[in-house]
Amino acid sequence: MHKYVIKRLIMLIPVVIGVSFLVFFIMSLAPGDTARTILGEDAPMEAIEALNEELGLNDPLLIRYGRYMWDLAHGDLGTSYKSGRSVFSEVMSRFPDTLKLAFWGMIFAVVLSIPIGIISATKQYSLMDSVSMVLALLGVATPNFWLGLMLIIGFSLHLRWFPSGGSEGWKSLVLPVITLGTGCMANITRTTRSSMLEVIRQDYIRTAKAKGVGNRSVIYKHALKNALIPVVTVIGLQFGSLLGGAVLTETVFSWPGVGTYLVNSIKAKDTPAVLGCVIIFSICFSIVNLCVDILYAYIDPRIKSKYK
Amino acid sequence: MKKVLCAILAGTLAACLLTGCGGSGSGNSGSSGGGSTTAAAGGETSGGGQVINIGINTDITSLDPHNHNDTASAYATRHIYSNLVRLTDDNEFVGDLAESWDYIDDVTVEFTLKEGVKFHDGSSLTSEDVKFSLESQKESPKVGHLVSMVESVEVVDDTHFIIHLNTPSNALVSSLNHSGCAIFSKAHVEKLLADGKKIEDEPMGTGPYKFDKWTPGASFSLIKNPDYFNPERMAQNDQLIFKVIPEDSARTIALENGELDLLINVPSTDAQKIRDNANLALDEYVSTHVEYFCVNHAKAPFDDVRVRQAMNYAINKDDIVIASMNGEASTFDNYIGAAAIGYYDVVTKYEYSPEKAKELLAEAGVADGFTFTCYVAGNTRATTATVIQANLAEFGITMNIEQMEASTFYEKTGNGEHDACLAGWVANAEPDNTYRPLFVSADTGAGGNRSYYKNAEVDKLVDDASVNRDKAAVQKDYETILKILSDEAVWTPLYSPTGMMGRNAKLQGVKPSPIQMHDFYSIHY
Amino acid sequence: MENKRAKKRSMAVEVWQRLVKNKMAMLGLAILVLLALCAIFADVIADYETKVVAQNIANRLKGPSAEHWFGTDEFGRDIFARMVHGSRVSLVVGLISVSVSLVAGGTLGAFAGFYGGGVDNVIMRVMDIFLAVPSILLAITIVAALGPNLVNVMLAIGISGTPGFARIVRAAVMSVKDQEFVEASRAIGASNATIIFREIIPNCLAPIIVQSTLSVASAILSTASLSFIGLGVQPPDPEWGAMLSSGRNFLRDAVHLTLFPGLAIVVTILALNLLGDGLRDALDPRLKQ
Repeated sequence: MHKYVIKRLIMLIPVVIGVSFLVFFIMSLAPGDTARTILGEDAPMEAIEALNEELGLNDPLLIRYGRYMWDLAHGDLGTSYKSGRSVFSEVMSRFPDTLKLAFWGMIFAVVLSIPIGIISATKQYSLMDSVSMVLALLGVATPNFWLGLMLIIGFSLHLRWFPSGGSEGWKSLVLPVITLGTGCMANITRTTRSSMLEVIRQDYIRTAKAKGVGNRSVIYKHALKNALIPVVTVIGLQFGSLLGGAVLTETVFSWPGVGTYLVNSIKAKDTPAVLGCVIIFSICFSIVNLCVDILYAYIDPRIKSKYK
Repeated sequence: MKKVLCAILAGTLAACLLTGCGGSGSGNSGSSGGGSTTAAAGGETSGGGQVINIGINTDITSLDPHNHNDTASAYATRHIYSNLVRLTDDNEFVGDLAESWDYIDDVTVEFTLKEGVKFHDGSSLTSEDVKFSLESQKESPKVGHLVSMVESVEVVDDTHFIIHLNTPSNALVSSLNHSGCAIFSKAHVEKLLADGKKIEDEPMGTGPYKFDKWTPGASFSLIKNPDYFNPERMAQNDQLIFKVIPEDSARTIALENGELDLLINVPSTDAQKIRDNANLALDEYVSTHVEYFCVNHAKAPFDDVRVRQAMNYAINKDDIVIASMNGEASTFDNYIGAAAIGYYDVVTKYEYSPEKAKELLAEAGVADGFTFTCYVAGNTRATTATVIQANLAEFGITMNIEQMEASTFYEKTGNGEHDACLAGWVANAEPDNTYRPLFVSADTGAGGNRSYYKNAEVDKLVDDASVNRDKAAVQKDYETILKILSDEAVWTPLYSPTGMMGRNAKLQGVKPSPIQMHDFYSIHY
Repeated sequence: MENKRAKKRSMAVEVWQRLVKNKMAMLGLAILVLLALCAIFADVIADYETKVVAQNIANRLKGPSAEHWFGTDEFGRDIFARMVHGSRVSLVVGLISVSVSLVAGGTLGAFAGFYGGGVDNVIMRVMDIFLAVPSILLAITIVAALGPNLVNVMLAIGISGTPGFARIVRAAVMSVKDQEFVEASRAIGASNATIIFREIIPNCLAPIIVQSTLSVASAILSTASLSFIGLGVQPPDPEWGAMLSSGRNFLRDAVHLTLFPGLAIVVTILALNLLGDGLRDALDPRLKQ
């Protein structure tokens, strides 16, 4: 198991190199006058040229990439063109806020989706099934920035229950978490439902039922644990899209996370900042996936034995 | 295996939960809890002082005056630091840290500092601090150009120094008023740098506020400096908290439900709501902001003055003001904002007239229309472009719109790839900073002259106005320039957005500045 | 061979029969057919030049009325007409970008699954790199780089969907490649390409169809999201996401600007998901009751 974890962590290195290569070259494809964007309309040409020189933007692409990778190999994510500060510290100062949003968003989604999924599965093709699936699907079908705006109007402007933005206190968490969480409800519900359906039809459940174990007990004691395995995977995979979805949610709610930082950096063509965000996002995503795989092994002893 | 599993899971969970708790724990008691009562009561106090919450749309980039050149950062640094001179409401330059100054000759200016000015750490301001600040500013790629005319600063004694210029310049005094020319404490900065820190880590100046804290992406806060040297400009509130709210509608809602006392960037869609709200008030002012449609003179058919004039007649500015600005702007014919120094109402005006446009296009030989592409950055300009597109379609002219990010826009228009583009300009206190980049031939392209307009006479007049110490002659220069620009229809000026600030109706002392250098010391309930 | 074709046909019929029984899936299908009709006959329903792009500033932000069923937008244009034409854009973006993902991801996945070993490793590690970047971020970066227009949006969404398809197709190929019929056709000397495209792909259609249906939905949503941050379709062309985005400033005074395009997105995606779920159930015999 140790070996497996270490192997997976080592596998991160080519992924980080690949991701940085991918993003660096996509960013450099884009035409963009970084120095002008940073200095603004009214800066004279001498200032633009001085800044280009200082940032090393006049050097050829490969040299810039080489320099970046050299620093990266030394654990340095570089400095933001725009602010001149270390990208690592800028991203890290915002990362907890994004993680907080993603974490509670996921909790919100899981708490709602799993029961809905179970109900749909146990009452397949009933009205309940249809209604709960439509509810879950509405979550994914609603563009989350639109939902966010609607929630602000309803709960912040009219009812005044929650603030419209910012990140102070639990109250400001509520609306962004709902906005973000509803987006991944559908997948979790869907997976819970289909994997419950599959498990319910397995022989051992039939046996348990035949032996007279109560329906409710069968579902919660026997079926659920086995049905959870694919659900855990989906949750892990959703975590990535949750981080991505945070970009839009953060914009709507003025949430000071990595998402808004990333969008602004892309717009300013601040390549080191964009790379830093994406690299940290992808490492985080990979670690979550690793945790999912480990959890997987923990839930299903058959898989666990494979890692030994 | 269990150990590893536990370690990883526990680590991840702990990280999530700790940050969760950390965040919710910091919900600070004094700040707006929301609710209509707050809005009505106003001026909530925290720790016995008056806290003013101000809404802005972008975060600051840096707290180091040498490391930024943007409005939001200047909100912070202009209040933490002081400059040698400042601009009054009547567009006059008066001493701030400087008591007085004298031109000994065209390239030598002697300054006297005010007595008894103290930094936030209690040390006294001396000429050495000025020398240190201005000379290190010259190294800054972001604001060094402002003092490019300064050759050196010669310290005479603690309160006297001489600025030697390398060329005669009218821009010295106006530059000294720019947030980039803030005066640092030499001892403090040298100590920071020696400790391996940066100026922005511990900003400290002589301004009416001390730096409190900055949460990137969310807010920054300034606390009153009770020992500020100028009693007339002493802070009348105890703390300023600037909240960054990029989303337009959310910003207004925050003002309406009392999370904000003052809103700087009022979205045009929401101006009327603020006017209609009995708890709120809207302060309007004339800004120096001009939005314009600019064609590339280097490309046919825009090299023909008749085509450019036809554009001026063909575009319906009233429709643009309604569609893009919801009516919260005035149509504009001039080339520099009405509130700016260097503005003179002398231009040739083109009233909307499809007939005249048709005639001119026929004279120019393009009666059947033509096709070109207009580059735009930003949603508002995209809306404007959509109106222009429909206007021009009536003459058989097909205008394709290409929307792009600002950085791409700068690059492409800087290289002259555009047929036409939409742009805007906010003039600052120095007219040369507007006329030179926008209209001088040396600055075509990336320098700022995106119309690729080249006219030797205009070049000469701009040069003269920048060094001529005779004010009447400078005015004459600028008037002539404006006349030429409008006769040649260099741009199609479109509109000037109305400057707007929304506030709690009970809030007093709001002083908008046409060049966005608002003072916040005077705000109070 | 003949016998197998017939068998396949009868399987399709069987799937269809199961699908018909699923009311929600049928509802989804009905909505989609209606939308497709809207898109096909858009020019008949509303003229592009006079209804969709012609402005009338005096008549802006008007609520729904007999003349303008869904009201008018900030330029005084008819929202209903723009939505009808917008359905074209949404469906085209959805279909083309998913086709890009399907062709690219499907081919890569099929090769990876079929050859295994080194080929599999190289292809899937590259896909892992793409998967490590959240797909919407990838799309944002690509569009920002290439410039915002419809083609680049489709390309960006297509690329960001590629690894998902590669994974699914690879898994499906691996599960069928050792089965008898593949062995059989190899025995009669069929080339690898023939085996992949003739035998293997048709036999792992089920997960591909389901994934495609759901991907169209997420492609439409991604387009709307890209438009929301200003990286979408160029004016004056109508697109639902762009309509939402430009209408959001008027959310409080003229909610119809965002309500109707928003609902259109919701209903379309809901329909695609209902159909996708229905197909999944219908195609997977294990879930039969």
